[in-house]
Amino acid sequence: MAEEALENKMVIKNLSMFYGGFKAIEDVTFDVPARRITALIGPSGCGKSTLVRCLNRMNDLIDGVRVEGEVNLDGENIYQPGFDTIGLRRRVGMVFQRPNPFPKSIYENVAYGPRLVGIKEKGKLDFIVEDSLKKAALWNEVKNILRDSGQNLSGGQQQRLCIARVIAVQPEVILFDEPCSAIDPVATQLIEDLMADLKENYTMVIVTHNMQQAARVSDFTAFMLVQEQGEPGRLIEYGDTNTIFTNPTDERTERYITGRFG
Amino acid sequence: MKAKRADRIATVVFWALGGITVAILAFIILEVLGRGLITALNPRFLFGKPNAMASGGGIFPMIVSTFYLVALTIMISLPIAIGAAIYMAEYARKSKVNSFIRFCLDSLATLPSIVFGLFGLALFVTAFRWSYCLMAGACTLAILNLPILLRSTEEAIKLVPDTYREASMCLGASRWTTIRQVVIPSALPGIITATILPIGRIVGESAAIIYTVGVFIRNVPTNPFDTAAPLAGYIWARQAEHGVPDWRAIVNGGAALLLIMVFIIYFLARYAGRKYQEKKLLGAGTR
Repeated sequence: MAEEALENKMVIKNLSMFYGGFKAIEDVTFDVPARRITALIGPSGCGKSTLVRCLNRMNDLIDGVRVEGEVNLDGENIYQPGFDTIGLRRRVGMVFQRPNPFPKSIYENVAYGPRLVGIKEKGKLDFIVEDSLKKAALWNEVKNILRDSGQNLSGGQQQRLCIARVIAVQPEVILFDEPCSAIDPVATQLIEDLMADLKENYTMVIVTHNMQQAARVSDFTAFMLVQEQGEPGRLIEYGDTNTIFTNPTDERTERYITGRFG
Repeated sequence: MKAKRADRIATVVFWALGGITVAILAFIILEVLGRGLITALNPRFLFGKPNAMASGGGIFPMIVSTFYLVALTIMISLPIAIGAAIYMAEYARKSKVNSFIRFCLDSLATLPSIVFGLFGLALFVTAFRWSYCLMAGACTLAILNLPILLRSTEEAIKLVPDTYREASMCLGASRWTTIRQVVIPSALPGIITATILPIGRIVGESAAIIYTVGVFIRNVPTNPFDTAAPLAGYIWARQAEHGVPDWRAIVNGGAALLLIMVFIIYFLARYAGRKYQEKKLLGAGTR
């Protein structure tokens, strides 16, 4: 990677999250550099999905969730009182574990976000839909079947449709919550290639249980772990992906990446 | 060997029980249609005016009354049911308010329909001075049907996967926009199916309407506040009073017609549900 001053898109400071009385993650601090891919890895239940959902306040939708600490987006704490969560989720989009296109046409799936901000003009919508599908590397496969239901596509295509749907709202950050866990290896490859292409314009965070995937796609890696049952998930180590995978500082990181547990 | 035989017997028993259900339904349909189909399909009966004393009266105003009553009742009860179901399924999932509403609905659902009829008579017909009219019956039936309509609407809304809601919120939609743009359209076929059962009940209900809508008219009702005579109530009245010489033919013809109407409504509603889903799926603005 060329040496250049990295600008931090998001800065997470001493973040803890509680489900009612249960502390799910504790005191997590790390940076998300702009136009890079940051991977969150760790064994199941370590709080990595919970953490990524804190980054666009999706956890707000669950009753009894409380957050301490800061998540800064371009220097502004998204948890400050009165922060516009709807605007936040337009800036920080999300792709989920299971592809979840709406039961609408392919076209309408992609046009959904732009329509929300009041874009009604057909020409403009057509352009956004085509452009987003191209960026998601799906256009050639669906350009003749835009009226078909998005749910008739294959799993991998559906996931790329979901990525196109997010791109259509022109977010600054895209969060991926185990985006390939429900799709086959070939489709996984396509999505990883796609992420590499998107890096030019987007900041990305990917949660994955697949270490090879983290090593392949990410620039930075954060390793999370729950020490003992009932304890909160903590960030064990964070750094350059190469360093984490070849020369980790923490013994627990080394044991995890060499496959000795988890 | 023993297990195999037991299995064989069980299969035969269950098949027979299933068969009995079908046979009962087939018997009723054949019996009703056999007695009344010829009368029911006679244009003079279908499109004629009923007579107060003489034979040969028709049933047209009663058919119109029935459809009118169904439409009014659904127009009144569906918005209430959808609104309340949205509240219960989307906003107050596990709250105390929710269980209280549910308790009230369950209580309401157990009341016999004649109680609703008398309530409608006391409130809409008498206290509101509406007199016997379609609107009084529609309001009564709307209350009568609310529990089942609300419950099935709520179930339809709950069946919409949470992943749709999450995806929508993540694209910067508010909760209300998500409900309007994603949840309701996805639940709509279910909601339409949910309205079918109550429609069948409205068409067939007599106890709740004989004291609120009326049982005899000569002219087609036009205004919601006109007195009317839905089929089921009219059949009941003819059977009870024997007011015309050919009352037996009218009752049989009316019953056959009622059956046919329920079938038509059922298939129309299913068709509409499927069409709507297709349209929603494909969306507008596609090239």
